[in-house]
Amino acid sequence: MKRVALGAALLAVLAALAMYPAYGTGYGTRAVLQVFMWVALAGSWNIISGLTGYVSFGHVAFFGAGAYTAGILIAGSGWSWPVAAVAGGVAAALLALGIGGPCLRLKGPYFAIAMLGLNEVLRALVSYFERLTGGGNGLSLPTLDATVPIYYAMGLTAIAVTLAARLIIGSRFGLRLMTIREDEVAAEAMGIPTFRHKLLAFLLSAIGPGIAGALTARDQGYIEPLSVFPLATTITMIVMTLFGGKGTVWGPVLGAVVLFVAQEFVWARYPYIHPLLFGAIIIAVVLAMPRGVLGLLQLKYRLPRTI
Amino acid sequence: MNVVLTPTMVGQVVISGILSGVLYGMVALGLALIFGVMRIINVAHGPLLMLGAYSTFFLYSTWGLNPYLTVPISMAVLFGVGLLLERTLVFRVVDAPELSSLLLTFGISIALVNAAQLAFTSDLRSVEYVTGSWIVGPFALSKSRTIAFAFAGVLTAAAFLFLGYTRLGKAIRATSQSRDVAMVCGIDVGAIHRLTFGLASALAAAGGALIAMIVAIQPEMGQIWTFKSFLVIVLGGAGNYPGALLGGMLLGLVEQLASLFLTTQLSEVVAYVLLVLVLLVRPTGLLGGRQT
Amino acid sequence: MVDVHKHFGGVRAVSGVSLTLERGRIYGLIGPNGSGKTTLFNCITGVERLDSGRVLLDGARLDHLKPYQIARRGVGRTFQIIRVFPELTALENLLVVTTGPRDAAEARARELLGFVKLERLAGEYAGNLSFGQQKLVEFVRMLMRDPSLILLDEPAAGVNRTLLNDLLEAVRRLRDQGRTVLLVEHDMKVVMGLCETVFVLDHGEKIAEGLPGVIQTDERVIEAYFGR
Repeated sequence: MKRVALGAALLAVLAALAMYPAYGTGYGTRAVLQVFMWVALAGSWNIISGLTGYVSFGHVAFFGAGAYTAGILIAGSGWSWPVAAVAGGVAAALLALGIGGPCLRLKGPYFAIAMLGLNEVLRALVSYFERLTGGGNGLSLPTLDATVPIYYAMGLTAIAVTLAARLIIGSRFGLRLMTIREDEVAAEAMGIPTFRHKLLAFLLSAIGPGIAGALTARDQGYIEPLSVFPLATTITMIVMTLFGGKGTVWGPVLGAVVLFVAQEFVWARYPYIHPLLFGAIIIAVVLAMPRGVLGLLQLKYRLPRTI
Repeated sequence: MNVVLTPTMVGQVVISGILSGVLYGMVALGLALIFGVMRIINVAHGPLLMLGAYSTFFLYSTWGLNPYLTVPISMAVLFGVGLLLERTLVFRVVDAPELSSLLLTFGISIALVNAAQLAFTSDLRSVEYVTGSWIVGPFALSKSRTIAFAFAGVLTAAAFLFLGYTRLGKAIRATSQSRDVAMVCGIDVGAIHRLTFGLASALAAAGGALIAMIVAIQPEMGQIWTFKSFLVIVLGGAGNYPGALLGGMLLGLVEQLASLFLTTQLSEVVAYVLLVLVLLVRPTGLLGGRQT
Repeated sequence: MVDVHKHFGGVRAVSGVSLTLERGRIYGLIGPNGSGKTTLFNCITGVERLDSGRVLLDGARLDHLKPYQIARRGVGRTFQIIRVFPELTALENLLVVTTGPRDAAEARARELLGFVKLERLAGEYAGNLSFGQQKLVEFVRMLMRDPSLILLDEPAAGVNRTLLNDLLEAVRRLRDQGRTVLLVEHDMKVVMGLCETVFVLDHGEKIAEGLPGVIQTDERVIEAYFGR
């Protein structure tokens, strides 16, 4: 009975979101588009870091890779943006394969360190290969007002990521990812090929950001290294997931919505306060509420794992 | 790339490498201590260095103090900051899973960097005290880097003497080898943790203070130092304190060598690739050390 | 024939240890603290690399395989310090181990939990279970893959009498099913009562091998434990 009610509510929300561009303002549409983007980003980060415990501090690298891939394909080769978006996802997945291959063989903390450096490296590489990427001057895309279709595309991406999380967390694959977080040595001793699992999770977690980056690039019409590889994006992804509940399905969604709304209404006026506040939130969550809001509720009210 | 290598160039590179290497080693030693004693990866290490740089800047620009005199002051200030951080926040995650300490120090680092941006703005600052180079034979030694090298050398030596010959230093080493045994021997492990964190912050501050006279100061300057310090520890071996010094030199040399063939932008990429390679091939570090 | 043959173990902790195990028997591995018993286990299960020597299971080499591959070849292991997955339920702890169809896996998992009378706790987070219950979960989790070689690291540690008897009974039943058991234990009564052959390690070397009764009176063994 409860299930049906929740399902109906979900459908209602989705329907409302689908109709929003028709009656909402341009600003409103852009805002919801952003929320979709954050849901996709946070939800993806959750798949690798929330489940396996391998903290990816450089996840924005996939966002940027997707953005530049799509940017180059659209501006340089005239591809249409939906196809370029898919290409962005593919590029991000390939990058994940290339980075994850060596780095996931490292133990947890060392992986985190390696990911820390990834951001800087990609920014340096983008600047270096100026001819292709426009370097520090950025890359401009032919003007196109496609905000509404992109709204839907981003929404679909967000739904896909959340659905993927739901499927993974409800499966034995997801359980096995969690054992890596709990006790990797024991997991190996039980016959679980941890490296393969980590790599797959990492790959899956890169696709969402790749597509989101590509869509954002098309929407903004202009990309430069600083705008698509900012540490702030990774930080925001992390805070949203931690706050909402890492390892849960809806935690990242909750975190994305709550923190984005808070950010827009309260903090956007003070550009530097909000990352500071995010840092403080991370500290507070880690110390006081390590499982996040949904994780806490899950524990307290014995909610199912796929919450 | 067509680069003709002359002995002079190689010599210059080696000298520059050693000059920066000792500085890397000193800063990395702090990180190594925190990791060895508390088993915590302090992502906030770079920001602490940055605060040391700002401390020196303000002491110099506000009161006209000789910047080299501000080094011990900056160290003392950050020692206090480190103590405070440990006492209020870090101590809570010492026994928690690694994920928690990683995220916590990450949160602290963001908070520190952005607090600095708020307080100091991201305008570039600098301390221009000593400029130019000494010419020794065919080699040019940047004055500010050489003095920094000297300071770093002295401080690192002092740190090693402290660790090796004083009671507190030995207590630190004992705790780093086995916390439980240290406790049983009557060592106040909590106090040792605070001291270690403070000491590491002081070393980072010294690095920042010295660097302030060489590069531009801005809130994000510390991030790359965090990464490089980790790289040094990986090279030298986790928990291997003298290894930190040697690892620092190695990094310095590799960087300078790479700059002969590649632009400085790519030298960061070199450092990164080096890190990943070493971690894959010898996770216990080139000189051997503890695994996590 | 299950034949684990290992000489010159890895790392300084074990040197030149050679054991041969036959199918369907219970073996004990004893020795003072630090004699290399757990390291030996780690070498067999692939957690530690051998510096030289071989580990053979039914003639096939195990020593260069990854731990999960060794586990898949039928080597099961429990740990000295319990290593259940605390944020997974007891049932999930067992479920993650298998790959086949979920229904069959779940049925088998419940069956094994029933074997140790823990069915009603199947949905409880393993971290919330008592020490003894966790020990049992770890034990049956190890059985999910139907191992032919079972390594038990101090199964009796911290366990009360009743539970211990149940465990020992379970071990005997496993032996009767044709599996090979090698256990590290400090509790001499357990070793003497359960094991058919006992190996003794001291300072990384095998100093004695034989029937429990004989080992008990072996001079070298007494010396290793108590000094001259």
